[in-house]
Amino acid sequence: MIIKENVCNNITTINLWGTLDATTAPTLRNFKSAAAPADPVVINMSDVDFLDSSGLGALVGLTREKREQGGEVTLACMNNKVRKVFEITQVYRLFDIYDDVEAATINAEKKQTRL
Amino acid sequence: MKTLIIIKEKDYAWLRPIFTGIHPLLVPICNKPFIEFLIDFAILAGSDALRILSDGPLSDVEEYCDNGSRWGIAISYGSIKSSDETLLIMEKNHRYCAGERVLLMNGFVFIEYDKQHNYTALFAELPDGEILGCNKGSLSLRGTPGERPKVAGALPLSLVELDSLEVYYRLSMEILSFGESPYVIPGYSNEAYCHIGRNVVISKSAEIRKPVIIGNNVQIMADSIIGPLAVIGSNVIIDKASTVTDSIVLEKTYIGEQLEVQNRIAAGNILIEPESGISIAMDDPHLLTGIKKSGSAEILFQSVVHRLFALFLITVLLIPFLLLSPILKFQRKWKKSTGSYYINDAGKTLALTTTSINRQSLPGSIAAALSLDRFGLLFNVLSGQLAIIGSTPIAAKTDNSVPLLEMGSWYKAGVFSYAEAEEWPANGDERAIVERYFAVHGNPLLDIAMTIKAFFNLIHEIHTP
Amino acid sequence: MIFHVDASTGKTLGIVDLSGRLDAANSSELLKSFAVWQQQANMFVFNCTRLDMIDSSGLGAIVACLRKALEKNGELKLAALNQKVSMVFELTKAKKLFSIFPDTGSAIQSF
Repeated sequence: MIIKENVCNNITTINLWGTLDATTAPTLRNFKSAAAPADPVVINMSDVDFLDSSGLGALVGLTREKREQGGEVTLACMNNKVRKVFEITQVYRLFDIYDDVEAATINAEKKQTRL
Repeated sequence: MKTLIIIKEKDYAWLRPIFTGIHPLLVPICNKPFIEFLIDFAILAGSDALRILSDGPLSDVEEYCDNGSRWGIAISYGSIKSSDETLLIMEKNHRYCAGERVLLMNGFVFIEYDKQHNYTALFAELPDGEILGCNKGSLSLRGTPGERPKVAGALPLSLVELDSLEVYYRLSMEILSFGESPYVIPGYSNEAYCHIGRNVVISKSAEIRKPVIIGNNVQIMADSIIGPLAVIGSNVIIDKASTVTDSIVLEKTYIGEQLEVQNRIAAGNILIEPESGISIAMDDPHLLTGIKKSGSAEILFQSVVHRLFALFLITVLLIPFLLLSPILKFQRKWKKSTGSYYINDAGKTLALTTTSINRQSLPGSIAAALSLDRFGLLFNVLSGQLAIIGSTPIAAKTDNSVPLLEMGSWYKAGVFSYAEAEEWPANGDERAIVERYFAVHGNPLLDIAMTIKAFFNLIHEIHTP
Repeated sequence: MIFHVDASTGKTLGIVDLSGRLDAANSSELLKSFAVWQQQANMFVFNCTRLDMIDSSGLGAIVACLRKALEKNGELKLAALNQKVSMVFELTKAKKLFSIFPDTGSAIQSF
């Protein structure tokens, strides 16, 4: 699992590569984003090739933490495999999901300036 | 052109209690799943790709439609939130929508069309904006809000709001009444008003009165009368001397002998009056029954493994139980309470005796660490009522209709829960996430591993309060 | 199942109040009791106000009661069927065999 941050349209995007399972979930859980706590982040899932329940736990945990601080997490570019895990666990109810990173960041920025 | 189908849970909520266990998009209208009518129309309109979006589950739809190669159209799926407006939904699917015209089918509405008409040419002429609208949904091009385009003459199209059983029934009867159907209806049809599927056995003395639609693998026994106006789904048996008129018999239904099904919808063991929506569940094999598949070998294997492991835990825990429970009972730190809990997704309930142990003493904390509070429940596993590991049992409420709907087909109450094994937060919604995950990805051996993990997690939990 | 005799119209009518479920578990009981009640009356009204559910064996028992009553030149009428019970009657051809009234009063008056 590789985690890399960059800024796109003034919004922090977290790019994930690799598998997100029991062995790699702690890496994501302990990841400290450079974005201010209340700033929105977009997680680019396009290169996540596997996700299990621990990985989901890390994503949900990260999102909950962010929301407690007044921020928002948006997901972008899920592949079919990952989407199916979201589907069976009904986690999709918790997230805004985009099929494009750029559109996700534009909307996250819009939302932020509106506040 | 591309098509976006947007369907929100609230639009079809009325359908869920009637057609339990079937996704509203797959509800058959004249033996053809509703989604297929939409797919057919998208193709007629000239779409080469279609995306189905919902704020609810779509896995059943995905399993049925797959990637759409069957129809020659690329089908993809996506999730939205209940509060999303059309514009936001378009943005969420920016990559899909970019650069092409998009036909939006919004809401749980049936589109009345005619397969003979050239909709590709029609839509090419239409400007962007809403083409048709009604209270429950709309059909639009690109979805840009704006004034309604002027179209010369009436459109060869209309929308039907699918918002009650009565509409569903009426629509089915209407489709049935077209001799030369404007829709593609499944089944063989060498004469008008009559569509018959594969492997249909009709007794010599049975009578078929047009119009009728009959699905696959249907048996119609002696002296029965089918029609006029009957939709018989697949895998249906109509027993001797019964009559089915002005009715819809949904798949996997058995209609007993000498019955008169008139102006009704029969779905499994449920009989519904479409006008009033009144339904009754028959618990009677001589009247109506749902035809069910028997359990597969895999389920049998799983239950054997669960029982064996429960037996193992009982033998291991028997001595600590016999030693500690009298002490704790004497100290009044062993509290029992009985409540009714759902044990499976069909809403079957069971009275379970749950135990809570006060951990403020050495015997108490040892008993809790050994999960002796679950000891009694292990016997429910032996009798096959509970799983060794599964979902946290949901307490049955007197108003049982609501939680029942929220339970998915994955629900099976267990002595231990997957959430305990994975140390997930014990918060209702989030616990359900992990339970659903394992309901799909589980296997008997993994179950045992997870039970052991849950068992040790519970010990750990006590040491770090 | 409560039985009482009503003579308010000058005729001896047996009124049977059915309640709960009428199914395989208690339909034979109805048949046995009916033979006893027939010694006191031969015109009957089955008051179904509190009858919640009926299945094919319950239906069979009621039809058998009707047959027994007709054998002795009597009559059996049904009153106050709820929607679920009446849907079962409509589904089977049994509805045609019975005179069905919306309430017990009108059933009693009809004799």
